[in-house]
Amino acid sequence: MASVESQSGDVIVFTPKASKPPPPTTVGVLGWLRENLFYSWFSAIVTFAALYLIFITFAALYQWGIADAVWEAESRRQCLDASPHGACWAGIIVWFNGIIYGRFPLDEQWRVDLGFILLVLWLAPFWFPRLTGKIGIGITAVVFYPFLAGYLFAGGERGWFMQTMVLLAVTVFITNWLHIVVSMVTGRSLREWVVGVTGFADKHERLHKYPMLGFQGIVLIGVYLWLGNWSVSEVNTNLWGGLFLTLLISVLAIVTALPGGVALALARRSHMPVIRVSAIAFIELFRSVPLITVLFMAVTMMPLFLPPDFQLNKLVQAIIGVCLFAAAYMAEVVRGGLQAVPNGQYEAAKAMGLTYWKSMNLIILPQALKLMIPNIVSNFLGLVKDTTLVSIIGLYDMLLMLKAAGQNPIWIGLHTEPLVFGAIVYFILCFAMSQYSQALERKLKTTR
Amino acid sequence: MAAVIERGARDSRSTFAKIVNDERNRSIFWQVIVFGLIGYVCWYLFTNTAANLEARGMSSGFDFLGTNAGFDIAWSIIPYEPQDTFGRVYLVGLTNTLAVSLLAIVLTTILGFIIGVLRLSHNWLISTMAAWYVEIFRNTPLLLQIIFWYTAVFSVLPRPKQSIDIGGIGLFELNNRGLYFPEPQPGDLFWITMLAIFVAIATVYFLAVWAKRRQLTTGERFPVFWTSLGILFGLPIVVFLVTGSPLAWSIPELKGFNFQGGTSLPPSFLALFFALVIYHSSYIAENVRAGILSVSHGQTEASYSLGLKPGWTLRLIIIPQALRAIMPPLISTWMTVVKNSSLAVAIGFPDLVSVFMQTSINIGGHAIEIVAMVMLFYSSVSLIISAALNYYNTRVQLKER
Repeated sequence: MASVESQSGDVIVFTPKASKPPPPTTVGVLGWLRENLFYSWFSAIVTFAALYLIFITFAALYQWGIADAVWEAESRRQCLDASPHGACWAGIIVWFNGIIYGRFPLDEQWRVDLGFILLVLWLAPFWFPRLTGKIGIGITAVVFYPFLAGYLFAGGERGWFMQTMVLLAVTVFITNWLHIVVSMVTGRSLREWVVGVTGFADKHERLHKYPMLGFQGIVLIGVYLWLGNWSVSEVNTNLWGGLFLTLLISVLAIVTALPGGVALALARRSHMPVIRVSAIAFIELFRSVPLITVLFMAVTMMPLFLPPDFQLNKLVQAIIGVCLFAAAYMAEVVRGGLQAVPNGQYEAAKAMGLTYWKSMNLIILPQALKLMIPNIVSNFLGLVKDTTLVSIIGLYDMLLMLKAAGQNPIWIGLHTEPLVFGAIVYFILCFAMSQYSQALERKLKTTR
Repeated sequence: MAAVIERGARDSRSTFAKIVNDERNRSIFWQVIVFGLIGYVCWYLFTNTAANLEARGMSSGFDFLGTNAGFDIAWSIIPYEPQDTFGRVYLVGLTNTLAVSLLAIVLTTILGFIIGVLRLSHNWLISTMAAWYVEIFRNTPLLLQIIFWYTAVFSVLPRPKQSIDIGGIGLFELNNRGLYFPEPQPGDLFWITMLAIFVAIATVYFLAVWAKRRQLTTGERFPVFWTSLGILFGLPIVVFLVTGSPLAWSIPELKGFNFQGGTSLPPSFLALFFALVIYHSSYIAENVRAGILSVSHGQTEASYSLGLKPGWTLRLIIIPQALRAIMPPLISTWMTVVKNSSLAVAIGFPDLVSVFMQTSINIGGHAIEIVAMVMLFYSSVSLIISAALNYYNTRVQLKER
């Protein structure tokens, strides 16, 4: 504090007054309102107009969807009798199971649930901190999970191939989770742990894979004894539908599109003209036409392309179409990532003497894919929306189930409510994913 | 001596290794393999197709385009009768697709720019509403929106007798059969007015070129905007009046159960159009917002410190730079609009996919030829649009070193 001695010898000490509080109109709620809603007479008018618009919209929605809505009825007639101008949610409640599972038999629906729970469990480790071998887990999910899920959904007799794949899938699933548990508890990977326990730790590193293989073999035998004769009844793919089918097609498409897209993108950037030109032709052809023409093509032309004794059902045809389409789009996303990797990285990899595949696998692709994770997620989001198109060729995905509700004799004319419900479900799915992709983008930006 | 022999041995061993390890030879080897694989797949598909076609007794070739189609099309831009040919059906579908896409592109761009600017509004309520508009329409499938507009809005409108009179002037009538509005009927001399419009556009173009050149050489500015506006509207109107107003309007009037006169758009058109516009405008809004935000604030400050007025700053500094970021995604959104107009097939609007790929294949077969023709159309549109995009990109690219 500054002090000055005056002429008379007294010491004058400067003591500032306490500062005044800011004007009440610039802080707190009032300040925020003035700052953001009423900063000029024009903005005040706009604000009131907007408030009025919001009010009438929500009032109408409330009146229709809640105040006048009917929650219990046995037919649309009853709904209309109870309240002619309200929503008939009773129909949605009746159709809810169908909208989610399609016409999948009620007693077998646990298989669908189990399939999706397994997928979540399989992929959950990606969000665990400090876990090694995530890429390996991802690859096993792509290679083995589809067979396990496919058997769970379709059921029936297993041929030798399906038997092997299902048993391997269960084995891999169990070892994955053992690996996670061991890593969490001991801080070492399952492989290191097994090597340590069996006493191979002081042997040559080249021999370390044998105890791990032996361990997996033991698990496989256990699984065989446990599930070797297990089987579930067959469910025809005609009965698959609803949200289940929507998610199934999107997940399958993304799972095949990712490796396909990487391969196509690499081919497109290849120095070999034949490979490059074929990749460009494929990508541009599929990107320039609408998905619906691809689906029509898959349904009308695939039977002509294949030998007469080898015909696929409509679901498989549609899935092949969606997968090809998705791969072409994914290729462009990956290409964007490859271009975003600085040229110095390519040159450095070459200078280190790495071969093409090693430099791609170890240097370029990890960086490119990491850069593109947000785009890959938003691409997936686009796929989930695009799978609605399979309803046009007559597959009972969620959209067609929603339409079917309004064509049922008991519920005839029930169009708006199912579509609103479907819109809400899609919105929740896609909005959550887009928020996630944006959060990822922010997170990856700060780490770079 | 021993060293020489060893080197010789290594040399002779490496001639084979040299060939194998030569990058050019390897690349040729792999290309031959890929070429062979693709060739084999094509041959396999081709022989299968030929066998299948023969087994089913189906003919191939494009002769069917000249045969009678025999089905009616609910709405078309160019005249069409059921006894017209499949070739005509192709043209009808093509023009219908282009009509709805072009109209949707124009409106979706305008709406997208408005929403995008509103998202940047200083008013919190407005920017939040715009953000929710974008989120809601971007995160629900387009097909669901199209079906919603069709079944929940345009199909449950009142009957023609209780039509909704838009604007209250008796010219635009909306009912469950569509939107009825007046149809212009040009007279004999109307072509002169059309000519005048072209002349006006050409004049304005050359005027702009001349004014720019004059400004570059002498520094004098010419009021291009107001002069152009005067020429664009003045010339055609004067010509129109001088030639005796050769344009009549046919007004829709309620006669019996339906409207007579005028022209109309079916509910399926309206549903498709509304859904396309609203869905894609949310994408364009995001582009516009990102584009405007991408121009750094320093540009505005630099422009102010040079003494440019706010309006000039916006027009000469901000917008040109923002457009550089906005245009590429905007053009690819236009492409998406054209492609997504094919979803018309779900609500029965007669677009190219609906009349040609669905109805024609069901009635006349020839799946391969038809699919090829449809793909040709979409590919050419896509090629034209991406050529335009490339041209634009090379023109506006930052001249950097």
